[in-house]
Amino acid sequence: MPNKIIKSGLKLLENNIRDLFSNLLSLILRLCIISAIGLTFFYIFQWLAITANWKVVSSNVPLFAFGSFPSDQRWRPSLWIISLLFLSIFTLIGPNRKWLRRILPFAWISTIPIGIYLLSGGLGLLPVASRDWGGLSLTILLTGCSFLLSLPLGILLALGRQSKLLVIKHLSSLYIDSMRAVPLIAVLFFGQLLIPLFLPLGVEVDRVWRAVLAFTLFVSAYISEDIRGGLQAIPNTQIEAAETLGLNQFQITFFVLIPQALRIALPALANQAIGLFQNTSLMAILGLVELLGVGRSLLANPEFIGRYIEVYIWLASVYWLFCTFMAILARHIEQRMAIDKPNLVP
Amino acid sequence: MDHIAVRTKKLSKSYTQGLYALDDISIQVDHGKVLVVMGPSGSGKSTLIRTFNGLEPFDEGEVNVLGIQIDSTYDERKIRKIRKRVGMVFQQFNLFPHLSILENITLAPIQVQKRRPIEAEEHAMHLLSQMGIATHSSKYPSQLSGGEQQRVAIARALALKPELLLFDEPTSALDPERVNEVLDVMRRLAKQGMTMVVVTHEVAFAKEVADQVLFMDAGKVIETSTPDLFFSNAQHERSRRFLNQIEKK
Ligand SMILES: Nc1ncnc2c1ncn2[C@@H]1O[C@H](COP(=O)(O)OP(=O)(O)OP(=O)(O)O)[C@@H](O)[C@H]1O
Ligand SMILES: [Mg+2]
Repeated sequence: MPNKIIKSGLKLLENNIRDLFSNLLSLILRLCIISAIGLTFFYIFQWLAITANWKVVSSNVPLFAFGSFPSDQRWRPSLWIISLLFLSIFTLIGPNRKWLRRILPFAWISTIPIGIYLLSGGLGLLPVASRDWGGLSLTILLTGCSFLLSLPLGILLALGRQSKLLVIKHLSSLYIDSMRAVPLIAVLFFGQLLIPLFLPLGVEVDRVWRAVLAFTLFVSAYISEDIRGGLQAIPNTQIEAAETLGLNQFQITFFVLIPQALRIALPALANQAIGLFQNTSLMAILGLVELLGVGRSLLANPEFIGRYIEVYIWLASVYWLFCTFMAILARHIEQRMAIDKPNLVP
Repeated sequence: MDHIAVRTKKLSKSYTQGLYALDDISIQVDHGKVLVVMGPSGSGKSTLIRTFNGLEPFDEGEVNVLGIQIDSTYDERKIRKIRKRVGMVFQQFNLFPHLSILENITLAPIQVQKRRPIEAEEHAMHLLSQMGIATHSSKYPSQLSGGEQQRVAIARALALKPELLLFDEPTSALDPERVNEVLDVMRRLAKQGMTMVVVTHEVAFAKEVADQVLFMDAGKVIETSTPDLFFSNAQHERSRRFLNQIEKK
């Protein structure tokens, strides 16, 4: 009997000691982790605040925003970027009036021609050659133009791939599959170096538009696959209902299929837009001075030699900010447009 | 000839060889009459009424709808002519989820009949208030109950001012307490003299509204008779067995 008591007493002691040790161990581990994190943050902060020299960024903010756009004309790209910002906020808030919501897509589409007009000038504005476009405004222009052009092309390709006409079907498939089999940089090289060779003498397409063309050709192939996925997700009964109402093939496509396919494909399309925004930075290698291009040209300047880390941290933050913003905007639009979630429909 | 809305002659169709979904069907529906089609699952009821507006091509025989004759060659022009004059209501409503209720109803009148949008909207609102759902006009289909959606689907079909309405089990996907709100609308349409072909298992509705009941099994017409006769004294053993079964439910 006492034996048993001693045994259980020992057991209790053993448990206590084990607990103590494991507590001690986890305490030490915790301290280690916390101090490691703390140190890391301390060094990062120390570097950001003390070691780093942010002059390369702070004295060149207009360059990052506008490239070598004439300084007395900088209000033009500024106006454009600010209006884009306002439109985004307006979209996020979500206007309550139906007609306002209706014109929202058109407002977004119209920002592109307005942007082109503000940048290139003419019609009362001082013309600015596209070689002087640059920085963030060029990055946004490349993204916006290419995406806006790839969307209709992608829709046509998706419809083409489902066409009953075999020639169209195979041509679309061939185009889509070969574009998706080529790296983007190759298509961009093609646009910059080879397109001028194919054009007849005397016809010149500006570098910016050659880049937009190349991006459009590339991205439309991917967009068409996203939209094809959307088209396939639409139940056949929708087509039957539309046929029953006497709508013809074109009307069914335009009023029933495309709007639904676009809604279904929206998350994927937002992905494409964000990817495109980042991929425009490839044009820095091909001689456009967009956001990344400005950074590269600054690093080549003897005054800022060796300031890589500052420039790239700054650029990364700008890309991060814009991409995150685009993602938030896309998610918001997605929720507004959700067709199968009763409470989220406008 | 003028009094006939739908007539089929020796209509046959098979999806898989040797198995007939429709087997030598000859029927006739006069203008202003209501035909109720009954039969066990898979007997070919949907297939039959879907041949009337060209949703389902067939192999042999002919179909004459509102004086337009189609046969096994799928003549799209004739079929589109028929569709402009024939409405159809489906079991699953099949509303367009991305359009508001009002847009669902006005799409075809504006695009197909080229009516002025304002006029089409007025007509749509009139139909919606007849269905008792005018307050929902700016909502989206997913915000409505099944019964409300089906009434919208009926309004959508009526917006084209059809001369013939086809219903394929319009209440089968509804909660039991929602069935009557749809059947009431259909009763009213029948009273107004609308020509209708209705696939349904609602016995009370058939007794009250049908001018004729058609019973199908395995692609064949087993019997056609008045509802009084059919429900009290069905001629065929197969029909009686079917009626027993649905009475049990
Ligand atoms: N697309 C198809 N492919 C092959 N067979 C089919 C197809 N559609 C229908 N069938 C067959 O045709 C027959 C008739 O089908 P139908 O849908 O007309 O029946 P139904 O009487 O409407 O049945 P339910 O009461 O279940 O709706 C069935 O045997 C079915 O299996
Ligand atoms: Mg059926």
